[in-house]
Amino acid sequence: MIMLSKLLSFNVFDAENRCVRLSDLSVALLDSDYPPITNIFFEMNKKLMKVAWKNVQSVNLKEKKFIIADLDSAEEVSLAGKNDYVLLKHEILDALLLDLENRRPIRANDLLIEKVDANWLLRAADNSIGAILRRISFGFYNHVGGNLLDWKYVEFLRGNPAAVSSGAGYHLRITRLPPGDIAQLINYLPYLHAAELLTLLPNEKAVKTLEVLPLERRLQIFEELDEAEAVGLLALMAPDAAADLVGLLQTEMMSKYLGLLPKKQSDRLIELLRYADDTVGGIMTNDIAFLPENLTVSAARTRMRESFGTADFIYLIYVISDERERTLRGVISIRSLLSEDDDRKIGEIMDPYISTLSAFDEVNAAAYRVVDSQLAAMPVVGTKRELIGAVTIDAAIMQIAPGTSAETLRIFS
Amino acid sequence: MSNELKPEELEPIEPVTAGLPTAPRRLSAGLRVNIRGRSIKLRGLKRQPKGLMRWLLILGPGLIATSAGNDAGGIATYSSAGAEFGYDLIWVMIVLTVSFAVVQEMCARLGAATGRGLLALIRERFGIGWTLFTVGIVVVANGGVTLSEFVGIGAASELLGVSRYISVPIGAVLLWYLVVYGSYAKVEKIFLLMTLVFFAYPIAAFMGKPDWTAVAHGAFVPTIKLDSAYIFLLVGVLGTTITPYIQIFQQSSVVERGAARRHYGPEKIDAYFGSVFSNLMSISMIVATAATLFAVSGSTKIESAADAAKALEPVVGSSATTLFAVGLLGASLLAGAVLPLATSYAVSEAFGIPKGVNLDFRRGKTFFSIFTTLIVVGAGIALIPNVPIFPLLVGIQVLNGVLLPLVLVFILLLVNDESLMGDLKNSRTKNVLGWGTFVMITVAVVVMLGGQMLEMFGFKLFGN
Repeated sequence: MIMLSKLLSFNVFDAENRCVRLSDLSVALLDSDYPPITNIFFEMNKKLMKVAWKNVQSVNLKEKKFIIADLDSAEEVSLAGKNDYVLLKHEILDALLLDLENRRPIRANDLLIEKVDANWLLRAADNSIGAILRRISFGFYNHVGGNLLDWKYVEFLRGNPAAVSSGAGYHLRITRLPPGDIAQLINYLPYLHAAELLTLLPNEKAVKTLEVLPLERRLQIFEELDEAEAVGLLALMAPDAAADLVGLLQTEMMSKYLGLLPKKQSDRLIELLRYADDTVGGIMTNDIAFLPENLTVSAARTRMRESFGTADFIYLIYVISDERERTLRGVISIRSLLSEDDDRKIGEIMDPYISTLSAFDEVNAAAYRVVDSQLAAMPVVGTKRELIGAVTIDAAIMQIAPGTSAETLRIFS
Repeated sequence: MSNELKPEELEPIEPVTAGLPTAPRRLSAGLRVNIRGRSIKLRGLKRQPKGLMRWLLILGPGLIATSAGNDAGGIATYSSAGAEFGYDLIWVMIVLTVSFAVVQEMCARLGAATGRGLLALIRERFGIGWTLFTVGIVVVANGGVTLSEFVGIGAASELLGVSRYISVPIGAVLLWYLVVYGSYAKVEKIFLLMTLVFFAYPIAAFMGKPDWTAVAHGAFVPTIKLDSAYIFLLVGVLGTTITPYIQIFQQSSVVERGAARRHYGPEKIDAYFGSVFSNLMSISMIVATAATLFAVSGSTKIESAADAAKALEPVVGSSATTLFAVGLLGASLLAGAVLPLATSYAVSEAFGIPKGVNLDFRRGKTFFSIFTTLIVVGAGIALIPNVPIFPLLVGIQVLNGVLLPLVLVFILLLVNDESLMGDLKNSRTKNVLGWGTFVMITVAVVVMLGGQMLEMFGFKLFGN
C-alpha cells in the first residue's frame, strides 16, 4: 500500500542505470472497481514518454525506483485525444470526485495504490487534511489516516460531456442512486461536469434527475447535451417539465427540437406552451389518466395498463363523457379502481363533485386553491368543460413558494 | 313564527361586483413559430425583456465586483491623489480602466467557459502548493481588508452622527443575514442597488465646480513626477484599482449566476460596464478633492476616506461632506459583504467544499461559516478602541501586492489553455493587454515594496 504523492517522488531506472524522474501513472478506469495501473510516464529529452506497466521489471520501494529494461524502448505520447487511460497526477489528483457513499463532491488530496499480485491497483481516494500535509511536508509527515474513500464508491468526471460518447471509462455506480440524490450532487458540480454526469445515466434516470433540478440549472446543463441526447430526454420528460425547459430555449433551437420530437410528445408540449406563465395553463400537466364513464371497472384496469402506464400523473383518474368530447364528469382514485367490483361502471363509482380550474385562471390564486383542497391535483377544463390537464400539488407548491427547496418538487408526478 | 318574513319583504340582494375583474384578463401577445409546417402562437415562452430592462438585467457580478473595489481604502487613495496632486493622476485611471476591463473580462470568461471559480482552476491546473499559497494570502489579506471595511462603516456613520458602536454591529448583522438567508438572485439585486450610492461622488465632484479644462488635461496628458509621494500614490492607485479579491469574486459569481459559454455575451458587457463605471466613480473622487482641497489649499495630506469627507466641509459645505460619507458607508457595506464572500468562494473552491449563496445553511455549512467568521472578526476588531489599523493596512497592502501579479499570471495562463477554454481562449490583442497589465502591476509592486524596504534602511528611492 503506497500513496500516489510518495510514488511521484520515484525515479525510473533502466538496465544501464540511466535515470529519469517519474512524472505520472495511468489507470484504465473501465477495467474494474479498482483499476490497475497501466502505464508509467516520464519526460525524456523534453518529450513525454510512456512505458506499459507489464514492462516494469520491479519496483524498489526503499530506494524509490521503478526499474525497466531500456529507457529508449519508451513510447512518445501526446495527451490530446487519448481515451484508453486516465492520468493519476495530471487528471485525478486535485480533481473534483464524487463520493457516492456520502453523496458529496470532494477533491482528491491523495490516492492510495495497493499491490495485489502482479498488479498495482487504485484502491482509495484520500480527502483528509493529512493528505495535504503529506504532500507539502517534503516527507516529514507520512501518516495515512483511516479517512480513505473506497475507490469502488468514487466516480471520476472529466468535465467534458463528449467524453462519455467517445468511450472514456466510468464506474457507473452513480446510476444506482435515486434521482433526487443525483440532482443534489449535480447542484454542487460545475455545469460541464453536471452535463457529463447526466449523459452517463440511463435515459429514464437522467430524465427524472433533470426534472427535479431548478429550471435555470436544467437549462444550463441541457444546452451542453448533444442534439440526439437532448431530444431523447425531452421525449421522455413529463410534458410540464419539458415545456418549461423548451420555453427557455432560443426560438430556433426550440422549433428544431419540437420538430424532432415524436409527434405525441411534441403536440403535448405545444399545447402547454400556448399558455402564458401567469395562467393555470402555464403550470399544468396534460399527461394525465382519464377514462370514459361507461367503461366497466375491469375494462378500465386494462385501459390503465395499456394507455397510461407511463402517464406523468396517475394518482387520480379523471372520468370523462367520451373520448371525443372529453367533458369532465368526475374523478376516481386508484384505490377504488382496484377495490370495486369488475362489472360496475366507472360512472357509478366516480365522485361527481369535483372542483375545477380554467386554463386561463390567474396562476397564484389557482395554486392556493389546489393546496387548500388537500388533493394531489385539480383538473383543468376548457370553455366547454372539456378536460385538458391537471395542476398537481407539486406544481402548486412550487408556484406559491418557489424557494422552498433547492430542487423542483416532483412527488406526485 | 310570527317574526318570519315573507319573501316579498326580504331586501333584494345586490349583485356582488366589488373585487370582480371588470374586463377579461389580457393575454400576453406570445410568439408565432413554425413547427412542422404549422404556424402556432405560443404564449408560454420565457423571453428576455427588451429595451432598458434587458440592459439592467445584464448587470451583475461585473458591476458589483468592480464597485466593491471603490471601498474605504480606495476612497482614501483616490481622495489623496486628488488632494495632493490635483488632476495629475487622472491619466493613470484612464490607462487602468483598459487594463481593469481586460482582466475582469478574462475572469468572467473563465467562469462562463469552465463553470469553475479561479481557485478551483488553480488547484486543478497548478496543484496543491500554489493553491495553499494563494488561499493563505487571500484569507489573511481579505480578512484584513474586511476589517478596514467595518472601520469605514464606523467612520462614515460617525460623520453622519451615528455612533460606530451602533452602526458596525447593525451593518454586520444586516450583511450576514442578507447573504446567509438570501438567494443569489436576491443578494445580487441588493448589491446592485447599493452601487447607486457611488453616484454621490460625481455629485460631490460637480459641487466642487472643477476646472474642466484642467480635468481634461490631467486625463489625457500623462504627467510623471520623480517624487516619492507621487510615485507611491501612483502605485497605490494601481494596487487599489486592480485587486485579487475583485477577480476572485467576479469569476465565482459568474459561475453562481449560472452563466454558460453559450450565453457569455452579457457577462462580457457586464464586466466592461462595471470596470468603466467603477473607474468613473474613482475619477470623480479625484476630481472632487482636487477641485476643492487641492485648488483651495494646495497639496493637502489625507489619511483616510473619513478625513477626505471632513476636509471637504469648510470648502464646499456640509452637503458635500454628507454625500461623501453616504458614499463611504455604501461602499464599505458593499465591500464588507463582497470580501468575505470572495474569501469563502476561494477557500471552498480550493478544497472542493459545496459553495454558493444559493445554498441553505445545512448544505453550505463550511461556506457560510467562513463568511460568518470573517464578518464577526472584522466587525469585532473594528469596535476595539484605538486599534492600530494603519500599520495593519500597510501589511495587508504588501500581501495583496505579492498576490496580485501571481493571480494575474494564473488568470493569463488559464485563459490561454485551449483544453479549458475552447473557442473562448484569449485573442492576441487580449494577451498583449493582459501581459502588459501584468508587467505594469509587477513593476508597480516591486517599486512599492522595494521603496518601503529601502526606507526601512534609511534610503530614499525618489526625491521628496
